[in-house]
Amino acid sequence: MDANEREQYRAAIHGDREAFEMIIRTHSRTLFAIAYGILQNCEEAEDVVQDALVKAWKTRWRVRDPEKFPAWLATIARHRAHDIFRKRRTVPLSATIDQVIEPGSAAEPNGSELDQQLRSALAALPELHRAALTLRYFEEMDYRSIESILGLSNGALRGILGRALASMRKQLRPALASLD
Amino acid sequence: MATIHDEIDNWLAADIHGELSEDERGALHTHLVECAACRKAHHENKVMNKILEETLAHEKPDPTFEQRMLSGFRSRIPQRGGLVKLLVELMRLRAVQITAVAALLLALVQVGRLITGEGAAVPRNYPRLDREEYAAQSGRVQQGVADELAVVRKSEAQRDKDIAAAKTRSGFAAEAPQPAMPPATPQQPEVQPEFVEEKASERMEAAAESAGNVPAPGGVPTANRKLIRNAEVELEIVSFDATVQKITAFANEERGYVATSSSEKQANGKLRGQVIVKVLPENLDHFLKKVRTLGELKNQTLGTEDITKAYFDTDARLKNARVMEQRLIEMLKTKTGKVADLLQVEKELGRVREQIEKMQGELKYWDSQVQFATVTISLSEKDMEEPAAFLLKERAQLALYAPDVEKIYNDIKGLASPKVQITNAQLDRDYSGRVSARVSMLIAPEESASVIDRVKGFGRVENFQVQTERIAQGGSGMSENAKTKRDKVELNVTISREEQEQAFQQTSLRIRTSSVDEKAKELRNLTEKQNGRVRSSSFSRNPDGREVANVSLRVSMKNYSALMQSLNALGKVEDISVQRQDSTGAQIDEANAPADISIQVYSQGNIVSSEIGLFATLRRTLAQSASAIMWSFRMIGVAVAYLAPWAIALVAVTWIIKRVLRARQSKTQ
Repeated sequence: MDANEREQYRAAIHGDREAFEMIIRTHSRTLFAIAYGILQNCEEAEDVVQDALVKAWKTRWRVRDPEKFPAWLATIARHRAHDIFRKRRTVPLSATIDQVIEPGSAAEPNGSELDQQLRSALAALPELHRAALTLRYFEEMDYRSIESILGLSNGALRGILGRALASMRKQLRPALASLD
Repeated sequence: MATIHDEIDNWLAADIHGELSEDERGALHTHLVECAACRKAHHENKVMNKILEETLAHEKPDPTFEQRMLSGFRSRIPQRGGLVKLLVELMRLRAVQITAVAALLLALVQVGRLITGEGAAVPRNYPRLDREEYAAQSGRVQQGVADELAVVRKSEAQRDKDIAAAKTRSGFAAEAPQPAMPPATPQQPEVQPEFVEEKASERMEAAAESAGNVPAPGGVPTANRKLIRNAEVELEIVSFDATVQKITAFANEERGYVATSSSEKQANGKLRGQVIVKVLPENLDHFLKKVRTLGELKNQTLGTEDITKAYFDTDARLKNARVMEQRLIEMLKTKTGKVADLLQVEKELGRVREQIEKMQGELKYWDSQVQFATVTISLSEKDMEEPAAFLLKERAQLALYAPDVEKIYNDIKGLASPKVQITNAQLDRDYSGRVSARVSMLIAPEESASVIDRVKGFGRVENFQVQTERIAQGGSGMSENAKTKRDKVELNVTISREEQEQAFQQTSLRIRTSSVDEKAKELRNLTEKQNGRVRSSSFSRNPDGREVANVSLRVSMKNYSALMQSLNALGKVEDISVQRQDSTGAQIDEANAPADISIQVYSQGNIVSSEIGLFATLRRTLAQSASAIMWSFRMIGVAVAYLAPWAIALVAVTWIIKRVLRARQSKTQ
């Protein structure tokens, strides 16, 4: 983290609105990736990001160390997404997914089956693994950044992503075989 | 160590995500060539990665995502207005934050002060109670003043009312049947008051007359009433005996008598006396009128005492007692019962008889008092106060100063003779060796001048006073033909030693020098050279290095100037002040009169005392600030202890409310 960024975080913590808006510009995609990873729903993920930003602004004084500001933001987003995910659990998972993916499935009927399988495989993963995956595939972030933003220890991400991909691979094996 | 094969999933994931180093990638590829299972997994992974990338690319946020987030944020948290923004900006400054904290602490201190009711940082010792008491007292005083004022106002109002009432009674009521009758012409009011006054005085006289004639006002029948009337008259007359004769005659005329008569002769031959006359009550006023013509009336008192109730009470009780007596006698006559009872009856009878006698006496006395009115006439002949003779009394006081008090004391005592009598002689010697004497004597008038002169010759006369008093005997004031006589002369002499004498001249001065002790010694030598005497001498050294010597000395006036000259050699002479009391008339031997000089020899301090030095000041300041800080801490503690429960309660309540609201919200969702 360079001095410029650090100063920006510090200013935001101290109530500098411009600095905070700049942070919104640079970090909201990351937050979205995390939220999406957990919820797998764009609209809900957007709401989560919005809520997380507002909450972050209101409670910004809780952050002591400006360096931890991005990780803190991510934590807020994760918690918020987790809350929403928990509330949703009573609703049948498949129904929601059907509803959401309808436009995509209409466009490509062949791909839609694979797509659906992929999604259910994703949904079977733990939340953290999903968040890590979306961070990687949405933002193409390197492992180091993902580790720091999710508060993981150095080198832990390789195992997480390895396991995530392996478990998906096992689920999707028949579909993959047919694809070849 | 785990092999690549064991952790192939991790390796493959890192490989597609491009997170392997060169060496790692080499190692992985070598393994993939060797292991078919891993190769397969690698292939599957690649395909799945592609699908994942494609699928998730659809879900990526669109380019306006950031803008949406921003506008959403702005709409949910509106930008603050000017003043609030300014405040927020200000609060971001470290200095402002510190100031705010300081202000908060100060506020806490103030709250603590308010709660404990303590004064300031340095606790003062005066108790608050005093102030309260004072306030209460002043309150009381004010209350008192108010009360007094109220009383004054009331009494003023009362007086006004009285005046109005008097006017009504004396003037308008008598003169004008209708009080509201206005003055008919403008001239009339000036005439009216006099007229009214005259009438009023006439009326009052008439009232007095009528009161005299009717002893019992109020229309109660006189016959049933028991009234004791008496009068006191004081007269100044020319001749006592003639007056007494006339009074006796008047008394006879009014069917009365002279009860007692006494007289007393004054030193100047005048007579003074008292005659008590008894007359019939109905003739009292007539008698008094006659008596008044005998001389100048100085004083007259008329009194009536109504004893009706007491009289008839006693009468009734007397009757009862008589009945009781009869019964007891009956009991004794029948003589039944035990001896002890009879004795008791006898005793009771005695008591009752005693009562009867007492009441009878009382009634008799009252009867006599009621039957005759008592008139006490005090007579004194004119010029009663004229003195018979005058006595000239001379008193002299003399203060002597002498070197040998005892010798003079004995010399004066030696003057005693039949014509010079010593009434008091006293010689005092106290523990410090001071000797003084006092002699009082009475001298026959013809010898007085010569004796006083001789006494004066014994020593230095400081004070001589003669007081002559003319005392009137047997009266006061002046008298043309009274004789004047000279009485014995009283002489009081006090003898003191010369050094107790008050100095003719007092001088005080300061000498500044560097060596105080040495110069003080030199000063003593100089004094002896001039035949002076050092009366007291002291030397002191202060902690700050200042030395001070105080020397007080006495020289005779003739050596005074020479000594003053020589003082200049000792150092810088400062602050000379001379005080002299010239008493006019007193003959003083000026050359031999003593002069007092008090000299302060001093040096400037050259050492800075530890008590006023820099470090002492610093130490004191630090100590004070430390105690002030401790006090502040205490106050803050008090304030926090006072406010904390409220804050905690407030936070708890807010938290509970939030929880309840949230619970409800989630229920509705």
